[in-house]
Amino acid sequence: MYKKTNIEYLVGKNSKLDRTFEPFNLLVINFLDDFSKSLDSKFNNQRYPDLKALSFFCRKKNILNLKYKHFTHGTVRFGLGLLFHITPSNIPTNFAYSLIFGLISGNSNIVKVPSKKFEEIIQIIKSLNKILKKKKYNKIKDMITILRYGSENEKLTQEYSLKCDARLIWGGDETIDNIKKFTTKPKNIDIPFSDRYSISLINSDKILKLTNSDLANLVKNFYNDTYVVDQNACSSPHLILWQGKSKKIPKQKFWEQLNQLIKTKYMSPLISTVDNYSRLATEIIKNKNIKSYKSFSKSLYVITLKKIYPNLFLEKPKWGFFFECDIKNFDNLSFVTNKRLQTLTYYGFEKKFLKNYFSKKNFNGIDRIVPFGQALNINLIWDGYDLIKILSREIEIK
Amino acid sequence: MQFLDKIINQNAFSMNPSFKSKFFLESINSLTSHHFKRSNLYQDYLKGLNYMPNKNNNLSDIPFLPVRLFKDFDFISIKKNEIFKTLLSSGTTSNKVSKIFIDKTNAFNQMKVLQKIFYNVIGNSRLPMLVLDKQNQSLDRKKFNASAAAISGFSIFANKIVYLLDQKNEIDYKKLNIFLSENKSNQFLIFGFTYNVYNYLITKINLSKLITKNFSNAFLIHGGGWKKMEEKKINRSQLNSQLGKKFALKNIRNYYGLVEQIGSIFFECKCGYFIASNFSDVIIRDENLKISKKGDKGLVQLLSLLPTSYPGHSILTEDIGEIVHDNKCKCFGHGKRFLIHGRLQSAELRGCSNI
Repeated sequence: MYKKTNIEYLVGKNSKLDRTFEPFNLLVINFLDDFSKSLDSKFNNQRYPDLKALSFFCRKKNILNLKYKHFTHGTVRFGLGLLFHITPSNIPTNFAYSLIFGLISGNSNIVKVPSKKFEEIIQIIKSLNKILKKKKYNKIKDMITILRYGSENEKLTQEYSLKCDARLIWGGDETIDNIKKFTTKPKNIDIPFSDRYSISLINSDKILKLTNSDLANLVKNFYNDTYVVDQNACSSPHLILWQGKSKKIPKQKFWEQLNQLIKTKYMSPLISTVDNYSRLATEIIKNKNIKSYKSFSKSLYVITLKKIYPNLFLEKPKWGFFFECDIKNFDNLSFVTNKRLQTLTYYGFEKKFLKNYFSKKNFNGIDRIVPFGQALNINLIWDGYDLIKILSREIEIK
Repeated sequence: MQFLDKIINQNAFSMNPSFKSKFFLESINSLTSHHFKRSNLYQDYLKGLNYMPNKNNNLSDIPFLPVRLFKDFDFISIKKNEIFKTLLSSGTTSNKVSKIFIDKTNAFNQMKVLQKIFYNVIGNSRLPMLVLDKQNQSLDRKKFNASAAAISGFSIFANKIVYLLDQKNEIDYKKLNIFLSENKSNQFLIFGFTYNVYNYLITKINLSKLITKNFSNAFLIHGGGWKKMEEKKINRSQLNSQLGKKFALKNIRNYYGLVEQIGSIFFECKCGYFIASNFSDVIIRDENLKISKKGDKGLVQLLSLLPTSYPGHSILTEDIGEIVHDNKCKCFGHGKRFLIHGRLQSAELRGCSNI
């Protein structure tokens, strides 16, 4: 808990925050590369796979790759100006990605980090401060302020809201409603990352043909999409849709294998027992669409639905609580696709086939379609926003 | 309920363990059948669990309703026109409210049982009572919130009630001093929520305005949870020792219970244990909801014979507790001894929120 006066500057207390660059500025790219190396050298990455992923993302090679994909040559673009990032407490490295997107798009940045002192945050801040000491990055130093303060300090939030040119509001619907109360410049752009939910699609016939090690691998990918963040990221699936001729055995194999994995790997607090059991009890009483359910363990409940229906996830479960349903064909997806649906992870389908199908079928939702294991991989396109384009302005020259 | 009529006039801690377990199991099984027949929601729940009520079922298998479900569903086993009053409790974690529907029989039993249990703490005489709260001005006599219900429940032990606070939640020193001077040499009760005890008697009170600081003839009864106290980092023994130093208070008893099971309350005995009466039982469950090993801490399941108008006879709480086996403790009489170690921490989730 922070008192009103308690503002903790982690990076750049006196930064001017008045500089912009063109997207993918070389100094920024070099800075990120040095940051990547510093982060990488520090760690036994086994313990913090998310830091490893962050370090990997910031490598020069990757950023140049992204530039190649996202930057249109021949256009003149610059960052919007100053970005105010309100970052979430769910994923410790999220604030860093938000900052990196701000830098790559050519902006100065004020980043409010969550109150919880994750080890990841501490390490990222250490690395940033170390690299920013280098003289050659003086210009970038001017572009970053990272701070921590209590949300009840409305004066500060108001001050930054009036100062900035865009706000990146992570943290779900409640945070967004709250931040929108603070007035901004007329031209300010809000990019809200609202509460979303996600689903998975599995070709059940393909499961049958898997070797044991392939199945283990598939389940590990699914685990990484869900349990690593207590199934509580917007991109973690809650509903598994099965398509294929074989109904019973693939499901059994998949869930049993997952149950084995969580037994050896997943730790959850005692409240998860109560949360999951309470959710089961609520569903049993309220949900008329349950065909059957199985509680494999305290961290794996699976409810099999007779059919899928809208508003399935007004309240998202967590801690390993899943719904599943058979679907005859992809068109059935329309029952669960709405604007809150973010990610669809898939197994057993060809990318080409999916691209063809989803480009023709304009569902009112789904912003990402990625293979198992990539649900949490954040990128320059997120929640359907092309962040580099939105966070920079184009000068039309004729 | 016949089983209640049999025991309601007995001493609340009279049953030896083997007699109690038999009597309690029969009674709980008949309660489960009772609610299964009368509450549709409860019936759906039991059917969903594949549980059929039967008089031979085991106590450990009796289904429990997670306590937070009382916020989402209106569980009721009586007809609407039989509702005598509705208890409301606001949760600490969300804005939703539990609703407990009580008929006349239930209300009577709650009062009676509370009296029977309390008798073992303090005896049968009615005493002047100082309430660490303000007087409830609500005009609605049919709806009670948890605090009003607790105050009104305990008021049956008082022959006179004085409220410490005025309507602005300020200490009313004038009234307090009159009360203290009237009871200089009498025993009296102080009743309040644990946090109010701390907030008013430890933090806010101005001793120089009191005619006496000697409360050694008082009996302090407090309950309602330690959550706010944990934030202040004050535990039971610290609170007791501060009260002892400040007011020479010796008789301090914490109570524990659910709004969902009002009446079958648990009082701390002199040894510091809560003790289950004839009307209640406690089961500790582990992270897999199995019965915990002897002596282990775990989730507290509370069973009570009182709820007849709503299916609240077996509830899984969100409190951590521990059964204690202490043959030296002879307080009250028979009954399982246990400790409560606070509320489950609502874990700092990795979820979409900005904290």
